[in-house]
Amino acid sequence: MRLINLTQLSAIELDECRNKHPKHALIEKVQTLGLPTRKSEAYRYVEVEPLLRETYEYAEFAPKPIVYGEKIIIEDGYVTTAPKGIRVYYSDFDDVNMNHYDPLYFLGHLLSPKVIMIEIDGDSDIELLHRFTKSNTLISYRIVIKNQTNRHASIYEYFESKNAQNSLILYGYDIMVTQDSTLGIIKNQTINDNAYNMVASHNVKVGKQASMMLKTFDFGDSSALQLLNIELDTHAMVDTGHLLYLLGHAKRGTVSKIVHKGEHTHSTQEAKNILDDGARGIFDALIKVEQSAKYTKTRQNSKAILLGEGSFMVAKPQLEIYIDELEASHGSTTGQLNNNQLFYLQSRGISKIEARKMLIIAFANTLIETIRDGRQQEKIQKSFEEAFYKKDLS
Amino acid sequence: MILDIKNLHAKIGDKEILKGLNLSLEKGKVHAIMGPNGAGKSTLSKAIVGHYDVEITAGDISYKGKSLLELSPEERALEGIFMSFQNPVEVPGVNNAYFLRTALNAKRIHDGKEELNAAQFLRLMREHLTALGMKPDMVSRSLNEGFSGGEKKRNEILQMLILEPDVIILDEIDSGLDIDALKAVSEGINQMKDEKRSFLVITHYSRILDYLKPDYIHVLKDGKILKTAGVDLVEKLESEGYDWIKDEL
Repeated sequence: MRLINLTQLSAIELDECRNKHPKHALIEKVQTLGLPTRKSEAYRYVEVEPLLRETYEYAEFAPKPIVYGEKIIIEDGYVTTAPKGIRVYYSDFDDVNMNHYDPLYFLGHLLSPKVIMIEIDGDSDIELLHRFTKSNTLISYRIVIKNQTNRHASIYEYFESKNAQNSLILYGYDIMVTQDSTLGIIKNQTINDNAYNMVASHNVKVGKQASMMLKTFDFGDSSALQLLNIELDTHAMVDTGHLLYLLGHAKRGTVSKIVHKGEHTHSTQEAKNILDDGARGIFDALIKVEQSAKYTKTRQNSKAILLGEGSFMVAKPQLEIYIDELEASHGSTTGQLNNNQLFYLQSRGISKIEARKMLIIAFANTLIETIRDGRQQEKIQKSFEEAFYKKDLS
Repeated sequence: MILDIKNLHAKIGDKEILKGLNLSLEKGKVHAIMGPNGAGKSTLSKAIVGHYDVEITAGDISYKGKSLLELSPEERALEGIFMSFQNPVEVPGVNNAYFLRTALNAKRIHDGKEELNAAQFLRLMREHLTALGMKPDMVSRSLNEGFSGGEKKRNEILQMLILEPDVIILDEIDSGLDIDALKAVSEGINQMKDEKRSFLVITHYSRILDYLKPDYIHVLKDGKILKTAGVDLVEKLESEGYDWIKDEL
């Protein structure tokens, strides 16, 4: 273990990284982009600077043997368990997307001498548990997922922590969704009592005629940020969704860039945000349609319900379009619960408190119910209700 | 008298809609309210059920001898007042059966009865669905979401049949219904008629009244009940409109 402060990473330390891994271009990227500050576009709505200024404990790369188990378990950045039939191993990775907008994406790669490679050979449903057990520690790891053509796989991500206070987790995926395949990633995360801080920076390429679903269910009273960079090849499609239920002074959400590169590409992006107390939700989402992406269809929408007097939603759906031949829509609404719906329930004898609960759960359900696997849907429902019923609505 | 409205003044926003309205509903009777657009018919029904939009500025509504005005919308419902909405709101994500079981059990608790469990409730709901000619998937769909106009109205009647209220306000229950749906809805309503229950039917057309056979016709115009008569009045209103009533007064 040694101490590390990301704001004081000197050229010498970065050179050390380079010596270990010939990633000169990455070092240049980090130096050019600089670490995020409150003025950085992608991080302006979360307070990332104080997290980066902290001094953390930091362990040198030291993977342990991987044993067989029912699910993939990654503990403090190292794989401990993997199921049979899924190839999980450490590897070098030289396919970093140099066009990514997030400096922490590059830093994450620099701080991860090897990536965790997950190769999915057939049709699979995989559970992936991230476990954090170290406090005041910088835990950085990158995961690369590869699937096979004509195959359909889903990964259900869960998170648990014990004594991980004040740790900073920098993790993320590099995903290539292979031609004619489908891949789903469903993330279910509850962070309470500042159990840890997280920045998850992902890069996804969706190949020809391939399809990707990325749904995030984010609950609790602590801050975290998810950053997505997604590129779509010809006839590719992506369906993303983010459900937030935030309490306290949590600041959480999605910053994303979806780039339509090929013709006949299709993207949908939906954010549902339930914000209580003084919580802040973030939906800062750009969809870019390049000249090569004729006949694109794209739709993005953010809806927020503000339950707390100090709650606040940053909703910035944005379209950047370079062609005429497309169908595109975007929008956002932020407000209170719908009074007509509330009255309708009350007019049938349901108390106002119960009616409010029903409407909030219903709002969340519209996204939770997009998860087709019944067992996983129930798990997410349970996580949401646990977070929700912690709060006394009366 | 089950419901007695005296000198009711009510406004929505800054506009006064009801201007000293008097109306009494008798037990076991069907009262129909007719009147031109903008007369205040829907405001009257909203005032009775305690809609947020309506502000009562004077007068009183008493129900079974007690004033309703201090009661919340849910308390009025639990006491036995039900309104079928003209345009029932869609509530995505709230399961139709779950909603209705919650409502029924709230009423049963209020009435000192045992709650129904899911199986008991589904049996009850399915019986009524069949009687109303509704599809079985109404159990699992979200409340009113994607329902056709006819399905929404039938769903209102389904709620009425299950909740068994004492005063039933039907706000343009006939609008947007074809003949078959109108017949099914009317049969559902007629099934509920008894000597303890009262109906207040708000409509523009005589068609539904042919099925429901009201005891009284009230003409509401300019925020007041201008005339009350028997069912023969409907024919005259259909042929001559409403202007003659003011002349008569």
